[in-house]
Amino acid sequence: MDAKRVETISARVDAAVSSSDSVEDELELSAVRHRPEGLEQLEAQTRFSRKELQILYRGFKNECPSGVVNEETFKDIYSQFFPQGDASTYAHFLFNAFDTDHNGSVSFEDFVMGLSILLRGTIQEKLNWAFNLYDINKDGYITKEEMLDIMKAIYDMMGKCTYPVLKEETPRQHVEVFFQKMDKNKDGVVTIDEFIDCCQNDENIMRSMHLFENVL
Amino acid sequence: MAAGVAAWLPFARAAAIGWMPVASTPMPTPPQDKRKAQDGLIILNVSGTKFQTWRTTLERYPDTLLGSTERDFFFHEETNEYFFDRDPDIFRHILNFYRTGKLHYPRQECISAYDEELAFFGIIPEIIGDCCYEEYKDRRRENAERLQDDEEMDMNNDVTPVNLTFREYLWRAFENPHTSTLALVFYYVTGFFIAISVMANVVETVPCGTLPNRSKEISCGDRYALAFFCLDTACVMIFTVEYLLRLIAAPSRYKFMKSVMSVIDVVAIMPYYIGLVMTDNDQVSGAFVTLRVFRVFRIFKFSRHSAGLRILGYTLKSCASELGFLLFSLTMAIIIFATVMFYAEKGSTASKFTSIPAAFWYTIVTMTTLGYGDMVPKTIVGKVFGSICSLSGVLVIALPVPVIVSNFSRIYHQSQRAEKRRAQRKTRLARIRAAKIRGTNAYMRYKQNGLLIDSLEEASKEAGQALVGKAASPPFESQHHHLLHCLEKTTNHEFVDEQTFQANCMEISVMNKSGSRASSLSSSPHGLSSCCSRRHRKKSSFSLPSTNNQELSTIQIRERPVANSRSSLNAKLDETVPLKCDEPYITPSMVSLSAPVVTSSDGDSSTTTAYSQSNIVRVSAL
Repeated sequence: MDAKRVETISARVDAAVSSSDSVEDELELSAVRHRPEGLEQLEAQTRFSRKELQILYRGFKNECPSGVVNEETFKDIYSQFFPQGDASTYAHFLFNAFDTDHNGSVSFEDFVMGLSILLRGTIQEKLNWAFNLYDINKDGYITKEEMLDIMKAIYDMMGKCTYPVLKEETPRQHVEVFFQKMDKNKDGVVTIDEFIDCCQNDENIMRSMHLFENVL
Repeated sequence: MAAGVAAWLPFARAAAIGWMPVASTPMPTPPQDKRKAQDGLIILNVSGTKFQTWRTTLERYPDTLLGSTERDFFFHEETNEYFFDRDPDIFRHILNFYRTGKLHYPRQECISAYDEELAFFGIIPEIIGDCCYEEYKDRRRENAERLQDDEEMDMNNDVTPVNLTFREYLWRAFENPHTSTLALVFYYVTGFFIAISVMANVVETVPCGTLPNRSKEISCGDRYALAFFCLDTACVMIFTVEYLLRLIAAPSRYKFMKSVMSVIDVVAIMPYYIGLVMTDNDQVSGAFVTLRVFRVFRIFKFSRHSAGLRILGYTLKSCASELGFLLFSLTMAIIIFATVMFYAEKGSTASKFTSIPAAFWYTIVTMTTLGYGDMVPKTIVGKVFGSICSLSGVLVIALPVPVIVSNFSRIYHQSQRAEKRRAQRKTRLARIRAAKIRGTNAYMRYKQNGLLIDSLEEASKEAGQALVGKAASPPFESQHHHLLHCLEKTTNHEFVDEQTFQANCMEISVMNKSGSRASSLSSSPHGLSSCCSRRHRKKSSFSLPSTNNQELSTIQIRERPVANSRSSLNAKLDETVPLKCDEPYITPSMVSLSAPVVTSSDGDSSTTTAYSQSNIVRVSAL
């Protein structure tokens, strides 16, 4: 009786092992492929023209033939623009900002939506996007730790060979300056309203928001 | 640079909006796109085969023929296409490089034809992708070797360089006997004497007939002792002279004495001298006889004459681990079987298996299937185990040997190739690094030019000419540089190249030691004092950081620099001030209300950065 039970158990284990092998094979064969929505729909949802969407998609598909970007590829591509430093941390935050549905990959729709806000959006939308970027855990508040992470990531992109020499406390000091400016009620966190208010009152920031409007 | 992902540059620039709220300083203005994205199709007609691609695809690599204005030379008005009179099959790969960013080498193409096409279109072969790079390098090496062989055949009649010292000449003669007839003669003479010496050692021991007053046969060595002694003396003298000459001629004597060949030389001639020194003492004659054995090492001197021997020695050395494994497994098997045989034969009378070590001999002879028969098991158990031993011996020995043989050939070929690959890697990395440096240099130059472009209209004529020269920079490059500039502005730090950075660090340490160097140094709250006061190497000028609360006590002596020269600097202030003068090109003393902002290209001068929000009256005097 016991021997029989052992036999059946071992048979089931064998079957499970072999079936898992075959399942694995199947997964490997069918690579992830994603086809975006139609051109008209994207045209309606974003503020890009047809031609611009075509150009964007051609570039996107060239780098990611499967139609989605995963975080590794994203980091790789972004790092190529900053050869002197290490852009991977900032790319990670950027990836989370673009991946609005948090499924680990950025499809063309996510990509184009993000770009639409950044390039053709209103000031409010852009500031909203920036706030979303800084708010790492997406709880509606920017804490000093989150800001410090972002700041370190930005300084990492500069690399080692800078003038003046980057010191350990430079990011921290920068964060202090930022919080002094933004945190109106001095409660240690920056909310979205404080952020937008403060940015709208700052000339430099307002001017720089219009900087990349004719990128495409 | 990042041309392979040029399509993603708009994305990278859009994402730069994320830096804006935290930026310490305002952003630079973006470059104006004079040609607003003419993304049209280009037709490339290569010897009749038409290729079509987007214009922006080709412009990803602006330092090649197709990506730059050089292609305009090939424009054919009648058919409105670009015509190239080249090989269309190879062109296919070149065009794919623009499309995918990876250059592949087709295996069926001739290497020199491919190289010519690459050179024509201005593409360096170092960027061939990893998948094809091995093949490309192999073919190129073979081709180069073929060319070199042809050259060598022609070169054999050449005269050797005469300006070598005698010592170098001697060393060269020793290492390469084909350089002169004297060397060749010496080479053959030493070879001959090595052969004679070895043969003499062998013949010495042959029994040579009996002496009249003895019944025992004596060896030839004892019979013709004097003759053999004279022969030995002659050989040893030649070897000694040769060794001393090599020692004198060696470029590094210590290294020469450590080398294997010199050790063999010494070991070959030592016994003779020791024998000379020692008298015919009975006590030491035993040792003396032992020393004679070392004379056989003279045969190893042949390895200078035979390349094959050297290669064999080297491959044995590099196969040591496999040989070690073979030895280890054999030892294990021998111990096991010897033990078993010993205990099996313990019972039998008059057994030769007196101890386990005694049984080792039986095991080795049986396992290698020699079977001398001097030790045989007598008990049945012993015979059983004896047969198992011989059967397993066949397996244990036969299995590793082919592995070792194949290892020999693999390691041999590999070691030949590994050296070359290592040398190639160094040059390859150096070239990639140079390209990277060129990229950062391009960025430094962009900064200088960009600020020039923002200058006043009253720029001097030279500046105008300089502008004209630099105006046509490709849009991708200028946008990328603008992006990097924005990052600099966000973080308040600047990119510098490695040399400047190293120099800055050294300056900092020197500064910290020596305190303030010049009286005109005013301390800066920024903590930049250490980095900023830097003696310009070419001219004695001091440049200082300036902040809002400080007077500028800058004395600057400026020459008339050429475009892209390393001019001395003054502090760089913020760029929201619209009036900017391009300092280096206006020589006389100038009182400028706004901040003259000049960055130099890579080089000795340092950039001092000051971030004041107000205008400062600066007096720059010659």
